[in-house]
Amino acid sequence: MTTDASSAMIVFEHVAKRYPGGVQALSDVNFELARGEMAFLTGHSGAGKSTLLRLIALLERPSRGQVVFDGRNIVRLSRAQIPRLRRRVGVIFQDHKLLTDRKVLDNVALPLLIAGLPWSEIRRRVRAVLDLVGLLDKEAMPIPTLSGGEQQRVGIARAMVAKPALLLADEPTGNLDPELSAELMQLFCTLNELGTTVLIATHDLDLVHRLGRRTLALRAGQMVADGPPGAQQITEPTR
Amino acid sequence: MIRADFRAWLRRHGYSLLSSVGSLVREPASSMMTITVLAIALSLPLGLHTTLVNFDHVHAELDRLDSISVFLGPEIDAVQARRLASSLSGRPDIVAADPISPEQGLRELAGATGLDALEVGDVPLPWLLQVIPGAGRDLGALSDVLRQLPEVDLVVIDLDWIRRLESILDVFRSLVRVLAVLFGLSLLFVISNTIRTEVERRHEEIEVMALVGATAGYIRRPFLYAGLWMGLAGAVLAWLLVQAGVLAMQGPVSRLAASYSADVGLAGPAIDLLLPLLGASAALGVVGAWLAVSRALARIHP
Repeated sequence: MTTDASSAMIVFEHVAKRYPGGVQALSDVNFELARGEMAFLTGHSGAGKSTLLRLIALLERPSRGQVVFDGRNIVRLSRAQIPRLRRRVGVIFQDHKLLTDRKVLDNVALPLLIAGLPWSEIRRRVRAVLDLVGLLDKEAMPIPTLSGGEQQRVGIARAMVAKPALLLADEPTGNLDPELSAELMQLFCTLNELGTTVLIATHDLDLVHRLGRRTLALRAGQMVADGPPGAQQITEPTR
Repeated sequence: MIRADFRAWLRRHGYSLLSSVGSLVREPASSMMTITVLAIALSLPLGLHTTLVNFDHVHAELDRLDSISVFLGPEIDAVQARRLASSLSGRPDIVAADPISPEQGLRELAGATGLDALEVGDVPLPWLLQVIPGAGRDLGALSDVLRQLPEVDLVVIDLDWIRRLESILDVFRSLVRVLAVLFGLSLLFVISNTIRTEVERRHEEIEVMALVGATAGYIRRPFLYAGLWMGLAGAVLAWLLVQAGVLAMQGPVSRLAASYSADVGLAGPAIDLLLPLLGASAALGVVGAWLAVSRALARIHP
């Protein structure tokens, strides 16, 4: 807890989450993520990685403790205030959570439609972010015609398009082969360099080690390791 | 700033509106079926109301169908009765005067009472003239004139059946009100149920929208528009159904009316009923959609 509070993007203080039914997903988790930082969240499945991310996007509320996002305790936010928070947090899901009956363009445009931007502005920004994730030529494609990696990149584009302050990714490389996974991580590093704070939950330790970023490890709902922040440059795989 | 917010609000509404039309058009068969069910539910009270309005029209003309029963003295025989009948028929204020013989009256009496003709045979019946007055004539004055005739014994104006018809119509009027409430409720539930299925079908989409920061209002809006469209379309279709029904009945009804030598044209539902119908149906549609989406949203708890 050495970071200045004003520069912290996320602060967890004594956070516990117990699901109805008695499953203790998190118990007494403390950590901080600085603005502009990129970190990995590792641990076995069931260690509480997803729960931790869900608490930040207020998909769940903690049973105990404080979750501070951008200087504000979000635990007590009313339901009406949740949408405003979620617009500032881009979330990438392992199962993409795309609208499969719509085109790529419509999926990526969704957060901007919700914000009520003019259509011309929406088109411009969607094209820009699709260019960033390398899908500009797939704009008019229906989702089911895309490969798993492409669908994941559509998810990233959607999470990025509204320029959120924080990007959360839950097992973004879960179903991808190693090469695609590495490519995707590279994309996250690029986004981080562009100024977005990034927190990625993954069990792909290999990839995490190669990238040499700060690593938070969860075991059975407790933070068991908080590795040193890696260099802000991208450490290329040495192979 | 406020103007920019307002423009964003307008745009959000525009996107919701387009999306609601889009989802109706994407599923034309199921939308059409829902709208048809709504239209049929609406057309029943509307059709009954139209029938009643038409009855009132007919009713206004019914006065001229009132008949006056003129009982002649017991000494009047067939020749005198027929002569009086034809001379009365010549009067400008009388359309027809039909003589009814004692035998005919006896048969009718026997039929009406269920007695054998022989058992009532001893009852002395006079000749009777069934007089149908001209339209708009003063029945009282005419019956006074008839009563003055030397051959006439008794004049009876038969208004009972008109009064009965009046009370039957009153019963139907309250029935229309009851039906309108019932079918209005059914409309609410049909729309609510349709939207609920739609909400369940689009469960994923709703979840995704909630995840990327859509407010409950934003998620709800396309469904409210869908309810609005279905309510409006249902009302228009109900209107057309009733209109078509009226057209189909036009021929038989005017033949029936002609047999009473009345000129009755059927009227369709009044045009000033269309707006309230559209308004009520649209309002019910929106309320039904609201109920369905709010329940679904509470369950999904995004």
